[in-house]
Amino acid sequence: MKSGSSLERILESGQFAVTAEAGPPKGSSSKVIQRKGDLLKFCCDALNVTDNQTAIVRMSSLSGCVLLKRLGVEPVLQMVVRDRNRLALQSDILGAAALGIHNVLCLSGDHQKFGNHPTAKGVYDIDSIQFIQMVKTMRDEHEFLNGEEISGDVPLFIGAAANPFADPFEFRVIRLAKKVKAGADFIQTQGIFDMPKFTEWMKMVRDRGLDEKTHILAGIIPVKSVGMARYMRNNVSGLSVPLEIVDRMADAKDPKEEGVKICLETIEQLKEVEGVHGIHIMAVAWEDIVPRIVEEAGLMPRPVV
Amino acid sequence: MTRNEPSTEIEYAPCKLACPILTDAREYIQLIAERRFEEALTAIMSQNPLPRTCGRICTHPCEQVCKRGQVDEPVAIAALKRFAADGPWKDRLRQVLPKASSGHKVAVVGSGPSGLAAAHDLALLGHTVTVLEKLPIAGGMMAVGIPSYRLPRDVLEADIRTIEDLGVEVKTGVTFGNDVTVESLTGDGYQAIFLGTGLHLSRRLNVEGEDLPGVLKGVDFLRDVALGKPVTLDASVIVVGGGNVAIDVARTALRVGARDVLMVCLEKQEEMPAAESEIEEAREEGVAVVNCFGPKRFLENSGRLSGIEFKSCTCVFDEKGAFCPQYDENELTAMDADTVIVAIGQAADLSFAEKDGLTVTRRGGLEADPITLQTPIAGVFAGGDVISGPATVTKAIAAGKRAAVSIDFYLRGESIPRSEPAIADQVASLPPGVIERTRQFARSKIAGLPVEQRLSSFSEVGPPFSEDLATKEALRCLHCYLGARVNKEKCISCLTCLRVCPLQVPTVSKVGEITIDPFVCQACGMCALECPVQAIEISLDPGGEIAREVEKAIASSQHLERLIVGFFDLHGNFAKKDLKGLREDYPNVLPVMTFGLRRIDRSDILKAFECGADAVFLAGCPPNRDPFPEAGDRIKRRTAHARTQLEAVGLDGRRLEIFDMPDEGLVEKGSITELIQRIKEMEPSPLRVRR
Amino acid sequence: MITLEQKQFAQIKEMASHYDRLLVLGCQTCSAMSFAGGEREVKELASMIRMERKISGKPGDILEDAIARQCDPELVDLIGDKVRGCDAVLSLACGAGVQMLAERFPDKMILPGCNTTFLGVTEELGVWSERCAGCGDCILDKTAGLCPIARCSKQLLNGPCGGSVNGKCEISKDVDCVWQLIIDRLARLNRLEMLEEIFPVKDWSPAGHGGPRKMIIEDLKS
Repeated sequence: MKSGSSLERILESGQFAVTAEAGPPKGSSSKVIQRKGDLLKFCCDALNVTDNQTAIVRMSSLSGCVLLKRLGVEPVLQMVVRDRNRLALQSDILGAAALGIHNVLCLSGDHQKFGNHPTAKGVYDIDSIQFIQMVKTMRDEHEFLNGEEISGDVPLFIGAAANPFADPFEFRVIRLAKKVKAGADFIQTQGIFDMPKFTEWMKMVRDRGLDEKTHILAGIIPVKSVGMARYMRNNVSGLSVPLEIVDRMADAKDPKEEGVKICLETIEQLKEVEGVHGIHIMAVAWEDIVPRIVEEAGLMPRPVV
Repeated sequence: MTRNEPSTEIEYAPCKLACPILTDAREYIQLIAERRFEEALTAIMSQNPLPRTCGRICTHPCEQVCKRGQVDEPVAIAALKRFAADGPWKDRLRQVLPKASSGHKVAVVGSGPSGLAAAHDLALLGHTVTVLEKLPIAGGMMAVGIPSYRLPRDVLEADIRTIEDLGVEVKTGVTFGNDVTVESLTGDGYQAIFLGTGLHLSRRLNVEGEDLPGVLKGVDFLRDVALGKPVTLDASVIVVGGGNVAIDVARTALRVGARDVLMVCLEKQEEMPAAESEIEEAREEGVAVVNCFGPKRFLENSGRLSGIEFKSCTCVFDEKGAFCPQYDENELTAMDADTVIVAIGQAADLSFAEKDGLTVTRRGGLEADPITLQTPIAGVFAGGDVISGPATVTKAIAAGKRAAVSIDFYLRGESIPRSEPAIADQVASLPPGVIERTRQFARSKIAGLPVEQRLSSFSEVGPPFSEDLATKEALRCLHCYLGARVNKEKCISCLTCLRVCPLQVPTVSKVGEITIDPFVCQACGMCALECPVQAIEISLDPGGEIAREVEKAIASSQHLERLIVGFFDLHGNFAKKDLKGLREDYPNVLPVMTFGLRRIDRSDILKAFECGADAVFLAGCPPNRDPFPEAGDRIKRRTAHARTQLEAVGLDGRRLEIFDMPDEGLVEKGSITELIQRIKEMEPSPLRVRR
Repeated sequence: MITLEQKQFAQIKEMASHYDRLLVLGCQTCSAMSFAGGEREVKELASMIRMERKISGKPGDILEDAIARQCDPELVDLIGDKVRGCDAVLSLACGAGVQMLAERFPDKMILPGCNTTFLGVTEELGVWSERCAGCGDCILDKTAGLCPIARCSKQLLNGPCGGSVNGKCEISKDVDCVWQLIIDRLARLNRLEMLEEIFPVKDWSPAGHGGPRKMIIEDLKS
């Protein structure tokens, strides 16, 4: 065991994992996280706490993780290189280890231009792949980036993101391979709507044998309305939403129901894709729907490890 | 706008270089384009003592080399000169006054173009000049050689009068060699003599029967007609010869009653020395032309001419291009004619020469230094046809002007400079890409008189340009050597000129040195204006000149309640009445004329406001008249930028407008009225200094 | 070249308002090439300031001049008399030029009329784009001659991120994804395998994060 986290144990035991997102509030109240934790703790194996997601300032990811841990929920600490240089990243990693957090997701982060502080200076001292490699070295070699020794253990299950839908498509698998090489133990993908493209990507992943070196959790985004579907199709770069999905949402009498239906169909298909070891549900502002999706997808109860 | 002479005057425009008297056609063409007609004439007269005459009968070598000719057709330079020289403003023109008298007296023998030109320039140099003419009228060959349908007598007389107004005395009926001699003139106090006696004898064929009644000499025939002697031809006429004089003879023959006129010459059609246009006009009038025959003998019938027998001419010139006709004596053709006029060349009457100790050359001319025009006798100079052989009026004028310079040096006791006259090299070719990118504009054409009307009189064949047609034609000039010049000391090789030139004229070397071919450049002005370090100077509408003009216009209009500066593109085909109408209808509008709105920089617009203008508008010419329509969008964006600058300093951006001129006239009344109304509703410009 | 843009007039007006006699000083190299502060812009800006002052009833003279470069002391010293004769200088040079003026004229207020934008190329007349970030440690040999430091919004050395779509960056459809360009170019050069290696973390100290930079050539210096 690299970290001893539940997520690692479930994945290593070959079981289908379920994770979800629990975004921290734009405020100091611990209640939001607690409510999400309570809601999701029985249907998910771990909850990702986002890190100033879409470059909007929120409560720190590390604090959110601590709050979840207090509830007995296993957190995944999301960290972006946009806001921290190598010093800050390493010190937060040490802090996370000290606080008993065992999963970290290493990300670049959305550009600050999109957020609520568009005039901020982006840090980008190192990039996400270098970050993964740095955490792995801290864990496995007990060394800082500069080669100095770290006292104590840094037991972290290292995650990374992958987007099969961004361009250039052919390069996406190479980039995944680089992340795996750098030390990514698990991968959470971008939300999947375009199944043919995803399966094509997965084939390339398998051809490289990457599915055997890392655990791929496929991203699920429940769609609440046709407006959201349309917005994601047109405005979110790196997200591929086929017109068919938009049409289905538009034609639906009950769009929310249709959204759930789409999710369940997607999960059903994903289960059949070789090399997919779990799902990661990103139900931004619709966390309430997650238990029902997990339930109806036949993924309950969650294993106890 | 004024123009600056290029800083280095070594580059002559092709038109100037091709002109024997180096007339800078560009200069007066631009003045015509700007409707500054009187100044155009002044410019012409500064170089040409016979402007009205030359406007008609000059062979305009300038047009043959005109850069515009490489794009479509040459600018109608000769017609523009005639237009400028003929207009009513010629009477307003104040004569340039000669310098104070030098006290020297010069006699000019012969009142042809060389003599008159010498007299004119000598008078301007302060010398006292007397012109002595053998014939009863002045003008030499211009009066008795060139038929009046090509050069009306009153036109020539007006030119001569202008020269007389300088104090030159013209005495007719005075034969050099008989009435006066070198000795007698010297005795009368003349310190220098110019001989421009011309070629007034006809060359002979020297074939059998040439002295028969009914065989006339070309030069004599023209002279007799010109002097009003009774000459009537009532039957078939054959003119022998293929030159311009032969054409004049043929066309004159038609006008004095000949029924059929046949021109017979040695040369093939394309070898004929006569100008193509003149051959064409002669054909239009009914002159038939037969080529490749040389006279063998005149035929006689009871003591009178009955016809002429020709031999076939197989070849006129030898390999070196020298005149060396070859005949086939076996192929003979006889033609009937009542009259044959021989017009195969002229010769000098040098009967005076021997008496005066002047040397006659082998070719039958006077001997003189070809550059200084000095004869072996001190103080005696000679020039024109008598030295050069038959040539054009302009070449004779050039000789006269040259003689004037030599005589002036001689009179002042200084040695005469021996500078060679500028000789036209081959005219440079425009790069094909530039030709392709240059917008074509058709040459303005005016129909000549109908043939019947021409033949019934000696009225002038070609009508003049109207003012509007003249300006339109003048705007076709491509401004050789008046365009962009890079100041290499200031240039930072930013390449803006290269990128902005609509013709892609500038080039850059590896080390960043910019070259703009001054011949190829058409002076559109884009590069000069956009150059960020202002390292490009332009001679047409030079930088800073527009701003100065604005300043001047505003300063002189302070009595007006509201001031609106209007920048106009001269390419808009407005007429005189439009300008007048603008001044009457909109007295508040101060027009500033430019060769294109391309030349109006934001700083010029700002300058107008800084000087107190209440509003500024830019009136661009209609796109179909714009030589560089592709610049239109840039000008609009530039103006929009200037508007934001105005707003930044606290002026209402609506004070600045840009619009296109209508197809006819200066401004769309609607847009200008709307602008004026808008200005009236605003406070007066806070920048106006009230006096 | 170094690119510059002229500041908004409102800002220039405000900073210059405290000084009656103002010298508007152009810089005839990079600033001129950027159409921010060459002779032409000096003429325009001076005219604008004069007008603005006249309209708002403020006194003062506006002088105009331009020198070849403001980043060299010898050139700057050539306008010493003119500078001493005014209350402040509005420099239309880059930040380096402004500071050179401040250094040479310690008793004079020097105002920046331009913003220094980037090191870039001219794409066409009126269009420039950034190419170099002056990081002090060129890596173009490893990135097919296209710089991710200057041209990737996130300065990724192992790009592209998940925001690259249709060759464009996630921040704007007008910005090329340089990693797409790098991949395209390496594909053309048949060197795509170069991207399989993980690019190590960058040493940012030569990029200015090691403190203000200075360059000395021993055999040239006095």
